[in-house]
Amino acid sequence: MKLNTILVVDDDENDQFICEYTIRKFDPAITILKAQDGTEALAILETETPDAIILDINMPIMNGFEFLEHYARAFSNHAPVVAMLTSSQLGTDRERALRYPFVKSYLEKPLTIEHLRQMQELLEA
Amino acid sequence: MQHDDRQWRLTGLSAGLWCIVVGIGMIVFWLAEPAELAARHPEIFGMKFNAALAFTALGAAFLLALSGHRVLPVIASLAVLAYGVVALSQHVFGIDLGIDQVLYKPFTDIGTSLPGRIAPNTALCFILISLAVIRRALRGSSDLVQMAGSYAAVAIAATALIGYLIDFDAAHDWIANTRMSVQSATCFLALGVGILFVGARTAGYHRLAIAASLGVATYLILLTLAYLKVSEQAKRLPFAIDRAGISSTAATLLDLILLSGLIYAGLLAYSYWSSRRYSRSATNLSESQERLSAIINTAVDGILTVSADGTILSANPACQRIFGHAPEDVVGKPIRMLLPGPPGDSAQAARAGCIVASGETDAQRKDGRIVPVELSVAKVELTEGTVHTAIIRDISERKHFERQLLAANAELEEFAYRTSHDLRSPIASSIGLLNISRELLENGDHDALSGTLERMERNFTRLDHLIQNIIVLTRDRLMEEEDRRFSPYDVVQNQADTLSTLEEDGRIRIANHIPPQLTIFSKPSKFDVIVGNLLSNAIKYHDPREADPRVDVYLEEHAGTIRLVVEDNGLGVPEEKRPLLFRMFKRLHPSRSFGSGLGLYILKKSAESLGGSVTFEAREKGSRFIVELPNGDGHEAEYHTGGR
Repeated sequence: MKLNTILVVDDDENDQFICEYTIRKFDPAITILKAQDGTEALAILETETPDAIILDINMPIMNGFEFLEHYARAFSNHAPVVAMLTSSQLGTDRERALRYPFVKSYLEKPLTIEHLRQMQELLEA
Repeated sequence: MQHDDRQWRLTGLSAGLWCIVVGIGMIVFWLAEPAELAARHPEIFGMKFNAALAFTALGAAFLLALSGHRVLPVIASLAVLAYGVVALSQHVFGIDLGIDQVLYKPFTDIGTSLPGRIAPNTALCFILISLAVIRRALRGSSDLVQMAGSYAAVAIAATALIGYLIDFDAAHDWIANTRMSVQSATCFLALGVGILFVGARTAGYHRLAIAASLGVATYLILLTLAYLKVSEQAKRLPFAIDRAGISSTAATLLDLILLSGLIYAGLLAYSYWSSRRYSRSATNLSESQERLSAIINTAVDGILTVSADGTILSANPACQRIFGHAPEDVVGKPIRMLLPGPPGDSAQAARAGCIVASGETDAQRKDGRIVPVELSVAKVELTEGTVHTAIIRDISERKHFERQLLAANAELEEFAYRTSHDLRSPIASSIGLLNISRELLENGDHDALSGTLERMERNFTRLDHLIQNIIVLTRDRLMEEEDRRFSPYDVVQNQADTLSTLEEDGRIRIANHIPPQLTIFSKPSKFDVIVGNLLSNAIKYHDPREADPRVDVYLEEHAGTIRLVVEDNGLGVPEEKRPLLFRMFKRLHPSRSFGSGLGLYILKKSAESLGGSVTFEAREKGSRFIVELPNGDGHEAEYHTGGR
C-alpha cells in the first residue's frame, strides 16, 4: 500500500511549510490535507480518511491529545498511520500518545524524508 | 488547702469565742454574788475573778491576732502574761503580792485557803498561752515556739480535765486547796488546740501525730501525778508494813510509768518520723505534680486523656486553641466529638491495643471548621484501668505551606516543560527551514529561498520574544524592589508611546484616563510590567474589523487599594477558554498565535508579587482586565507571606 493522502495537523505555519515541502520532495503525488488544530482536523476527517496523520501536540483550541481522545471515541475507522510530530521528546507525552493503538510513531521536529520513509514502511507492514 | 483554711479559721474562732464567753460569764457570776448558789455549787466559782478577766482578754487577743492585728493583741496578752508570772511567783516563792483581791474581793471562799488566787498550773498555762499569742501577733504566722507553748498548756489542761472526770484531784491540784477549774481547763484546751491546729499546717506536722503525742503526754503526766500521790501517802502512813505494801505498789506504778513511757516515746518517735516522711513525700508529690501539670498546661500541643470507651477525661489549655472548646466543656464528652476521623477513634485504638504512632487526621472545631492535625495515641495502663493519652498537633500551617510548595513546584515543572518545548519549537523549525534553504540554494531557486529565509527570521524573532519574556518573568521573580511613590499616568503614557510605534497601522487608540497628578506607592518596575502586558495584549488581540479599535485605561485608589482597569473593544476571550486565561503558554487565538503565551501569566505573577490580583471580565465587545494592588506598605506583609 502506498502513501496517497497525508493530513498534517499543526498550528505553526512554518512547520506546515516544512511538512509540505518534505512530503512533496518525498513523493509529489501525495495529497496533502492541512489543519490548524484538532477541531479542523476532525472536521476534515468527517469526509476524508487519509493514509497517515502527522499530528502536533501543542496547538490552541484543541491540542494533539484532545484530538486523539475525540478521534478514538468518535471514529471507528482510523487512519492506518498516525504519527506524532513534536518539538520535544518528553517521556510522559510519548507514553501518553502511544497508548492509542492507531498512534504508530513519535517523531521529533523537523519532519524529514527519513520520517516519511518510516511511515511508508509502517503502512506496508 | 482552702478547705483547711476555713477549718482552722473556724477552730480559732470557736476557741477565742469560748474563752470570751466563759470569761464574761464568770465575771457576771462573781459580780452577781449569788450566795445561795455558791453554797450549793461551790465548784461553779472555781474560776477566779482575775482568771475570768484574763480569759476574756486572752480570747479577744487571740481572735485579733488571727485577723492580723498586732498592737491590741500584744498589749492584752502582755497584761495576761504579767499576771501569770506574778501569780506563779507567789506560789513558787511563797509570797503574797496582794494581786489576788486587788480588783475584786470574793464574796465566797469556796473552801480555798487563798481566796482569789489562781492555781500554779493555771498561772503557768496563762504564761504559755499568752506568750504564744504574743508571738503569733508579732509574726503573723505560726512557729515552733508557739506550738511548744500551746502543746504544754494543752497537756496540763487535759490532765486537769481528766482528773475531774476520774475523780483524781492530784491532776488539777498541784498545791493543796488551789486547783485549775473545769472552766479554765476547757479554755486553755480550746486556745491551745486552736494554736496547735493552725501551727500544724504551717509547720508541716501531721495533726494526728500531734494529737497522739498530746494523748500520751497527758497520760504520762497523769501517771506521774498518781505515783507522786501514792509515794506521798506512803510516807504519811505510820506503820512500816503498810508503808512497805504501798511502796511496792508505788514501785510497780513507777515501773509501769517508765515502761509505758518508753513504749509510748518509741511509738511517738515513730509516728513523728512517719508523719514527717509522709509530709515530705506529700510535698515532693505535689511538687512533681505541679511540674507535670505545668508542662501539660503550657504545652503547645493539645493533650487529652481518654477512657477506654472513648470518653474524654482531661484536656489541657492548648486544646482550646486547637478545638475552640474550653477544656472543662469537653471533659466527659466522647472523643468522637473532637476527632471524628477513624484514627481518632480511641475505642478503635483500644481494641487494637497498640500505639497509634502518629497519624494525620481531621479535627472538628467548635466553630464547625475542620483542621488537619497530627495525632499520636498511647495506651497507658493504670491501676484504675486503661486510659489513652492523645497528643494533638495543629498542622494546618504546615499543610498550608505544603500545598503552597507543591503548587509552586508543579508550576515550576510546568514552566520547565513548556519552556523546553517552546524554546525548541522555533529551533526545530529553523533547522528544517535551513535544510530547505540549502536545497533551494543548490537548485538556484532564489525566490523560494528568500521566502524561506523570511520564515526563519520570523522564527528567530519569535524565539527572541519568548526569551525576552522568560527574562522578564525571571527578573520579576528574583528582583527585590523597594516601594516608591510614582505617577501611574506616566507609566501608562510611556508604555502606550512605545507600543504604538510597534503597532502596524497606528489605528488603535490608547486613552489614558488616569489623573496626571495622582501618585501611588508601589514597585514601579513591576507596575510597568503589568501595564505593558495589559496594553500589548489589548493591541495584539484588537479586532481588525472594528471601525474604531481602542483601549481605555483607568486607575482609581480607594481604601488603600489601587484598581487599574484596562478595557478594549477587541476580540475578547471565548467563554470556554476563560479558565485558561492566566495559565502559562496558553495562546487562545489560533489565527494570532504570534505571542509567547506568557503575557498574561507574567501579568498575573507580577500582580501577585505585589500582593494583588488580576481578574478578567468579558465586555459586550472586547475584554476588561482589572488589576487590584495594595497602595502603600500594606502589601509588604502580603508579599512576604505570599509564598516566595
